Amino acid sequence: MSGVDPNARINLSKANVLLVDGSQHSLDMLVQIMKGFGAAEVHRAQGVGETERLLKSKSFDLIVIDPNLADGDGYALVRDLRHSTNGSPNAFIPVILVSGHARASDVAKARDTGANYFVAKPITPNVLLQRIMFVSRDKRPFVEVGAYVGPDRRFKFEGPPPGSDGRRNNDLKSPLGTADEPNMSQNEIDMMIKPQRVLL
Amino acid sequence: MSVVVRKFEPDAKLKKMLDQPGGVTAEQALARAKQGLESIREDCLGATDEKVASLQALAGGNELTRGAKMYRLSNEVFAEAGAFGLGELSAVAHSLCSLLAAHEGSMPPRAAVAVHVEAMRALRRPELAGDKTARMAVLQGLRGVVQKFTAP
Repeated sequence: MSGVDPNARINLSKANVLLVDGSQHSLDMLVQIMKGFGAAEVHRAQGVGETERLLKSKSFDLIVIDPNLADGDGYALVRDLRHSTNGSPNAFIPVILVSGHARASDVAKARDTGANYFVAKPITPNVLLQRIMFVSRDKRPFVEVGAYVGPDRRFKFEGPPPGSDGRRNNDLKSPLGTADEPNMSQNEIDMMIKPQRVLL
Repeated sequence: MSVVVRKFEPDAKLKKMLDQPGGVTAEQALARAKQGLESIREDCLGATDEKVASLQALAGGNELTRGAKMYRLSNEVFAEAGAFGLGELSAVAHSLCSLLAAHEGSMPPRAAVAVHVEAMRALRRPELAGDKTARMAVLQGLRGVVQKFTAP
């Protein structure tokens, strides 16, 4: 169960979740997963029109959507939702995009929708639960800049999560071990903090 | 030219909800979700077989919009077979999606499409269900054929 603490508690017993997918069977799978997580109410939609109607009539706590819908563009639907700031209760709720095979153009569209996270299919309960927990704890502010409304897309890299070795080649391993270079002098440290000072 | 940026913090309703006392542990949530998925396994895999049959019918036809329809169906097979652990079938469907996406607006060579559909059908044969080596051989064979079609 990598990535999720098995003892972490989640309470979705009051959550109203909207699941959107063009495939009935993919929707069935998402419903089973969300019910397994204990979601109180699970609404499903297979098309843009149906989704828009639900978004206008109900207040949701989370949307999980595959934007490749048969009757329209699900990416535009999410983007429009983020712009629906005229009192819509759903404008800024967490949105997780799920997608199967994605064309290069779809990746750019996904980035610009204002969704909180992107999950690649095939969906597994582990990954979906992990992403729901990420989304709920996400501290990024929302930004409105130009045509974009959504979570700030700039991530501050703070190293790999505690207890993991990281995935990047240049991630520092823990424990760091002994230094292989001499310690910096106080002057050198001061120079880094106050670069206007000059060593003579 | 300056760009106006508005920053704001939406109400963290989901976080407050998740952190409420009660609920279940992640372990319990995952076990229940997996149990739920198992309960619809046969139904979903039956639908996957129907989608493969539809792909076969479309591959042999001349319908103008068949490329888009095949892409959608193949994408569904990729996602649904993969979620139920049919990794090789999922990989073949993904390969077909890539092929169709590379020929968006037209159709890839018929033979290239047909070999994918045949590979999917082969992988759903009951005698291959418990034979990982044979399934990998089908996948390996398909990769060889795809390389021939995509070679410059």
